[in-house]
Amino acid sequence: MTSRRNVLKAGVAVGGAAAFGVGFSETGEHVVENLFGAKKTNGVVGRSLAPEMRVDAKGGLALNPAQRVSYTMCMGCTTQCGVRVRIDTATETVVRVAGNPYSPMSTDPQLPMTASVRESFISLSRYDEEGLAGRSTACGRGNAVLENMISPHRVTVPLKRIGPRNSGRWQPVSFEQLVKEVVEGGDLFGEGHVKGLREIRSFEPIDPAQPELGPRANRLAIEVSADDGRNALVKRFLMEGFGSINMTGHGSYCGGAFRAGAGAVFGDTKAMPHAKPDYQNAEFILFIGTAPAQAGNPFKRQGMLLAKARTTGKLDYVVVDPVLGNSDNMATKHRGRWVPIKPGTDAALVLGMIRWMIDENRIDAKFLGQPNLKVAKTAGEAAWSNATHLVVAEPGHPRHGAFLRASDIGLPVAPADRYKEKDAFVVIDAASGNPVAHDAATGPAALYVERTLPVGGAQVKVASSLSLLAANARMHTVEEYSAICGVPADTIVGLAREFTSHGKKAAADTHGGAMSGSGFEAAFAIVMLNTLVGNLNVKGGTFVNGGGFPAYGGPRYRLASFEGAIAPKGVPIGRNVPYEKTSEFRRKQAAGKPYPAEAPWYPIQPPLSTEWWATVLSGYPYGLDALILFGSNPVYGIPGLRPMAEKLLNDPRKLQLLISVDPFINESNTYADYIVPEAAMYESWGFVSPWADVPTKTMITRWPVVTPKTAKTADGEPVCGDMFVIALAKALDLPGFGKDAIKGADGRSYPLDRPEDWWFRAAANMAFLGQPVGDATDDDIALSGVSRLMPALRATLPEEELRKVACLYSRGGRHQPGNQGWTPEGVAAWPFEKPLNVWHETLALAKSAITGKNHSGAPIWIEPSFADGSTVTRHYPEKDWPLLLVSQKSVLQGSRSIPSRRLRNLHPDNPVAVHRQDADALGIRSGDAIRVSTPAGSVTGVAIVRDGIARGVVAIEHGYGHWEFGARTHVIGGKEMPHDPNIAAGVSQNDLGILDPTRKWPAVYVDPITGTAARQGLPARVERA
Amino acid sequence: MDRRDFFKAVGRIAAGPPAALAAGTARAATGSAHHWAMVVDIRQCIGCQACTIACIMENRPPENEFRTIVSTYEVAEGGRVDSYMLPRLCNHCDDPPCVPVCPVGATFKAADGEVLIDADRCVGCGYCVQACPYDARFLNAETGTADKCTFCAHRLEAGLLPACVETCVGNARVFGDLADPHSEVSRMLAEHQGEVRVLKPEQNTHPNVFYIGLDPRFQGRVDGAPTLWRPTPERA
Repeated sequence: MTSRRNVLKAGVAVGGAAAFGVGFSETGEHVVENLFGAKKTNGVVGRSLAPEMRVDAKGGLALNPAQRVSYTMCMGCTTQCGVRVRIDTATETVVRVAGNPYSPMSTDPQLPMTASVRESFISLSRYDEEGLAGRSTACGRGNAVLENMISPHRVTVPLKRIGPRNSGRWQPVSFEQLVKEVVEGGDLFGEGHVKGLREIRSFEPIDPAQPELGPRANRLAIEVSADDGRNALVKRFLMEGFGSINMTGHGSYCGGAFRAGAGAVFGDTKAMPHAKPDYQNAEFILFIGTAPAQAGNPFKRQGMLLAKARTTGKLDYVVVDPVLGNSDNMATKHRGRWVPIKPGTDAALVLGMIRWMIDENRIDAKFLGQPNLKVAKTAGEAAWSNATHLVVAEPGHPRHGAFLRASDIGLPVAPADRYKEKDAFVVIDAASGNPVAHDAATGPAALYVERTLPVGGAQVKVASSLSLLAANARMHTVEEYSAICGVPADTIVGLAREFTSHGKKAAADTHGGAMSGSGFEAAFAIVMLNTLVGNLNVKGGTFVNGGGFPAYGGPRYRLASFEGAIAPKGVPIGRNVPYEKTSEFRRKQAAGKPYPAEAPWYPIQPPLSTEWWATVLSGYPYGLDALILFGSNPVYGIPGLRPMAEKLLNDPRKLQLLISVDPFINESNTYADYIVPEAAMYESWGFVSPWADVPTKTMITRWPVVTPKTAKTADGEPVCGDMFVIALAKALDLPGFGKDAIKGADGRSYPLDRPEDWWFRAAANMAFLGQPVGDATDDDIALSGVSRLMPALRATLPEEELRKVACLYSRGGRHQPGNQGWTPEGVAAWPFEKPLNVWHETLALAKSAITGKNHSGAPIWIEPSFADGSTVTRHYPEKDWPLLLVSQKSVLQGSRSIPSRRLRNLHPDNPVAVHRQDADALGIRSGDAIRVSTPAGSVTGVAIVRDGIARGVVAIEHGYGHWEFGARTHVIGGKEMPHDPNIAAGVSQNDLGILDPTRKWPAVYVDPITGTAARQGLPARVERA
Repeated sequence: MDRRDFFKAVGRIAAGPPAALAAGTARAATGSAHHWAMVVDIRQCIGCQACTIACIMENRPPENEFRTIVSTYEVAEGGRVDSYMLPRLCNHCDDPPCVPVCPVGATFKAADGEVLIDADRCVGCGYCVQACPYDARFLNAETGTADKCTFCAHRLEAGLLPACVETCVGNARVFGDLADPHSEVSRMLAEHQGEVRVLKPEQNTHPNVFYIGLDPRFQGRVDGAPTLWRPTPERA
């Protein structure tokens, strides 16, 4: 059909046959030729693949012996769905990918584990139309990314740079040489001595004058990408084995602000629990800063549930977003509606809603009035909140912002317990009007309290959490909020009215769209909407994920702990600990001016890769000797980082050793000293539980369903990231690796010498947890390709574990039956029993290390700001920067899917979206070349003029504008490797990310409270190029 | 089918139930094995293009040619802006205009309803490509023969579903046998009688691809702006 021959000429990889060089895998074209022979077609079937199986009219199944089908995990994005992978056995090449019917990530409802693999295959067929009801899918990207494995740009052998960093010249080395050089260091590049990991691993302090920084071992850091199911092994190496505290993922430049906002509501901004809407039962969902069917996690499951709920279910929904995407579909007769908004102002919209809800008494007073879990349960609630808990509201009081405690009002509390967990909170009993300990209350407490109470002999102002939230919301009128966010006041009220018209069957959701300079407050406010209607863990509301099956604690093997494990100490380089506990603070306090610190600190946060770079570049509070990028690509992913990273990484003196574990040369590891080729996609190991939105427990098992294309170690094992950390650990003689490293529940010790030693034992734990899974039959093992694992399984595990572990791999994981997510009473099976925070005490007590000012413990409107509290518009006024730039998630392209050629054919680049009226004013038409500028610089892209974008907004779809992954030539072993200009198509919004001009040292613009990347609402202008 | 072709007249609304419904019934009566058909419930389409890519992976057309695709539109009217998706593929018409124009008889209507091309006979003259009112055909640059959707005839024959249906995330594409009154497609057409539409009904091709939620303005050539895949000037 659609002929796009206009693109064909550009679609051929430059370099052609030169692709068969050292270091890169064979070309996709070559593989396809092998698979399908001559180009001449035959009959009506043409070049279509031969079917992988045959199901006859009676439901009899026969497999095609030239192919096999295995259940494993997709790595096309961070949703990480359970998939079925179809392999051509002659070439060991993955030819197609669709869904795993046992996995709720791909199927609804999923098959029970008790269904045989044979039954699972039949369930996908035409037989009895089972394949329609039991449909198990992969998304567009999931269907395409198998091409990453056969990309001509893939790295398959260990590489060492020759020449300066980023010169694009590499030498293939053996795995053993790479490990030896990384561990022992030396004059590795003819540029002088490089510290090896052995030298870095010292437990002497980094700085004796600042002992809180921790040991020198902290000067090795690892940035992983998403948790692709291997973090436990990486952590065992880096933290518990090597003893460094510095490990992080990509969360701070993904949806970190959302996670922190949800974490604040759920009372834990480190682990950051969160909930997502129950699409199947909700009557109304408000999406702000996330767009189901466009993006989100789990992208595909949400899309599947949304499609059904809006068509045959009860769901109406609104997507508030500067850009219209695929969430909306006119065919649903406006069950879904789009509301455009000014970027970076979501918190204003939501605080306007909250104000109206409170003023009009449209909140769930019964839910919010429950002072503890017990009375909440008695009242029939599935969760509870701290709305009624009293907060010290006396300005200047030493405990201003903290919760009033039982000991404060003279209730008996042991001195050692004062202000700790056993010192209860205080509420005003609704019936008597008297203050009581929250856990002693037997009925509802007063919702709104603003009064004084005698505390320590003085009358002290106190207020309930809800009153403080109300006060924050009432700082502006709905009309003022409307003027800020550009959403009409009657729309704000309309949204609030609709949101509060469905009891608990309404939900609010947000995600990466909250990544602005006001992102944390936006996410905090949006998640607060759910608390105000009391919808947590109630059908039709929001629910906390069922989670996975923990694989490392037991019951068969103790993988989470080992003899000699180190508890890493010190300050992490993301500065995500309180500044007030540092020597610097004490020194400055003694000098009379404790604030500002040299750079911001983020005490409420988990590790922050966004801040790592400022730290390493400035050496504050301390720099790194070595960094391992474990599949991560921060130079492409962090807005504004590129020039900073270039400065840092081009200078080996600032960071002596940069190692990457990756299947590709990307924008970050092009600076690497060494690249360890990673087993890609369906070649690798891991265990992953869903990120959100699955009510049942499920854990996906990823395993090499095809032979890795990577080089082999001297022992004949495929090189991969797992093998790398094991080899490093053994070379360094770290505890927890090698002989006798794993303790079994049987008291015996087992080795950790190869990936299978780890993964099979972890799988045994999963299989035996609680009620153990059933045994795989011979038929299950044969049909699912698990027969390929059996020799290694037999060599590793005792007989009684074999068939249970094989059962997991044959079904692509352990999956709880789909009907166990909710109790018969309509309450989520996996309760959340801590209070939801209307007031978050830890946040309220935390100060900005720059301004010394406390944060508010409840959501508040704060204009997007830099670290010193000055607004972005003060530095970059609207007259110079009349537009706001946002990033939009792509339905098809992700941060690492660009090597997939067929995906590029379908969606070759990312035109820059401009509103029709803005375009008219600027004389821009669709197809024009335009220059988009921010204070960081300019990019030139192609305009697409749209109505589906807010006025004053410019939008760039993420996933394009690459300059590596095959976009440029590298020379490996003297041989020029292919490159393809199509990989460089389009523009990257992150190239326009800005720095914070108020910081002492170069640092990217982040949300001032959470340090998470700010990419939404960057000051911008556009002109014809 | 090139998206830049969607810029002309607006189609007319079909009157009455789709003719192929009756054809399906007739077929069942004559005892033919199957009458394959697809019902696309556009309301459930999320425009993810899983179908498009699955088709490519399964059927291996040359690069930049597509047997199916989801056209994605942005519709601005009355102060509102909406997205709209329209999965497109060969309609496997009961009266296929592509068949009579084939000078060598390579294009034919199979017994179970698929319109197929015998590539061994096809001489690549392109008459059928011209004749198809749905732009569903192309000349395969690698084989030199006409090419298009087969409903994944090779998978149907093996008792499986078409690749696009298997992987449709929103469950928008439903495939089955109109000869079986209990099939899902038969049930859907019955349930939505009066709301079911086909593309270009005025051509009387009697398609076997039916749509629920098909806006009449999208039944023919579409006067709209594609929101995805705007070709860059260098590529155009």
